[in-house]
Amino acid sequence: MNAIEIRNLSKNFGEKQAVSGLNMTVPVGAIYGFIGENGSGKSTTEKMICGLIHPSGGEIKLFGKEHTDVDVRAKIGVLIESPGCFPNYSVWNNLMLQAANLRVENAEDEIRKVLKTVRMEGAAGNKYKNCSLGMKQRIGIAMALLGKPALLVLDEPINGLDADGMRIMREVLLDLTQNHGCTVVISSHILGELEKIATHYGIIRGGKMIREMTAEELEASCRTYVALQTRDMKKTKALLDQKYARVEQDESGYLRVYNAKEPEEIVTYLYENGVLVNEIRTDKIGLEEYYIDLMQEGK
Amino acid sequence: MATEFERNHFKKRLTSMLKVDLRRMFTTPLFYIMVGASLVVPILILVMTTMMAGPTTDPTTGEVTVIESFTNVWQIISSASGSAQSTDASAGAGMDMMAMCNMNLIYFAVAVLVCLFVADDFRSGYAKNLFTVRAKKTDYVISKTLVCFVGGASMILGFFIGAMLGGGIAGLSFDLSSVGSSVGGIVMCLLAKMLLISVFVSIFLIMSVVAKQKVWLSILLSLGVGMFLFMMIPMMTPLNATLLHVILCLAGGALFSVGLGAVSNVILKKTSLI
Repeated sequence: MNAIEIRNLSKNFGEKQAVSGLNMTVPVGAIYGFIGENGSGKSTTEKMICGLIHPSGGEIKLFGKEHTDVDVRAKIGVLIESPGCFPNYSVWNNLMLQAANLRVENAEDEIRKVLKTVRMEGAAGNKYKNCSLGMKQRIGIAMALLGKPALLVLDEPINGLDADGMRIMREVLLDLTQNHGCTVVISSHILGELEKIATHYGIIRGGKMIREMTAEELEASCRTYVALQTRDMKKTKALLDQKYARVEQDESGYLRVYNAKEPEEIVTYLYENGVLVNEIRTDKIGLEEYYIDLMQEGK
Repeated sequence: MATEFERNHFKKRLTSMLKVDLRRMFTTPLFYIMVGASLVVPILILVMTTMMAGPTTDPTTGEVTVIESFTNVWQIISSASGSAQSTDASAGAGMDMMAMCNMNLIYFAVAVLVCLFVADDFRSGYAKNLFTVRAKKTDYVISKTLVCFVGGASMILGFFIGAMLGGGIAGLSFDLSSVGSSVGGIVMCLLAKMLLISVFVSIFLIMSVVAKQKVWLSILLSLGVGMFLFMMIPMMTPLNATLLHVILCLAGGALFSVGLGAVSNVILKKTSLI
């Protein structure tokens, strides 16, 4: 059973095609990292999943039912762009409203629980408009967690969170998926953070899904490379360029040699050409680099 | 393994939606400001017009303006004839306060209440949370109509209490027979006015869901479209109203609420919600 199954989804805003023939499959219990550049159609797709905007074409199924199904939609938690809170209401009253909206039993206990989860117990009485950006984001997450959702749709939930907030977010999402069978669709530009929790990925470009894969498949597709440092980096690069197809200098000053069989092979080659290697290690490119490579391939 | 979802029947959905909207209505300062204004405005009108009553002469042009004041407190509720216009302009440029400043002003204020109340859902982003978990827009429309009706009816009551207080302060007559009405007529008039609120609420609701977060647009549209129907208020709710007036207002309210509610529902279904 898939939590989300999207076939041939499209959305036009006048002449502009925001989403075009998009297919997407999110299995139950997955943390689905939804990645794409600004304006690639992530938020539009998420809004269509939540029924906030109407597709121009295609089909969205949630847990095997139409996405307009009343019973399924009642079990969706959402945080899109910003938490939908009334600025003059207290945090507590905003959560009480959403709890009533979701028909949550023992609303007060449930609210205390979600506030504790996002470490906001002390701020329940604060007016929402007086909360900081990070606090607002946590409130939005607390709101999305109310009513034990079967599906969470989170658009850039980590924005504005500090390191502790990000850690809490990770723990909460892992607990929800692993212990409560919740499915999470999360879009974020902070790919390093996403990589720590996502079990599935969907990469969107120009309104089209260009790749869907599991975390294992990503791991397998991420190429290994050898990173090294020498005293004469310029000479080293020139030497390596003669032997290897792709040699690049990364942001931290290391030379990366892709498609090298073993580090020893490089060390020997450089030694024979009068260059001593100071430091050498093998590594794999992460999600961020994989994504950037993929985007560059397209361009 | 198939995921099981709890059944959400109409009654259950509507009850929870009503709870949300009633909680919102009774916790928003807007409601108390509007009801407070409804209470204060008749006091001010009655006291000030009594103080300003009589002819005044412009010292530069010599033009005489006669300000007619209320002679009976019930005149601020409605007119017995059911006419909104005064034909009495015997003393120069006549200003008939009874035709301009009465309970019918509340219908304009209800437009502001409904538009701000609905626009707040969209402006705050709360509509995202609301419509994500509520696939049926019918719940929203019914609940908003009922709750705004309660808000409007509270304003009518507030105005009535204010009128009684203002009449007492201004020392006006409370004699019903002099305005051609009776206690029953007043009760029917108030009931008819309250029920007529639902006609206007459904019109204002359509305008609000069309304009969404653009509150200025919804107020402008509401007052513009409502203007065509404001004329019927004195006719439908005279001081000497009968049960027939009440039934007519009830039927009109029900018809408008169902018919225009369906239109609001379609607008919400067919347009983007954020």
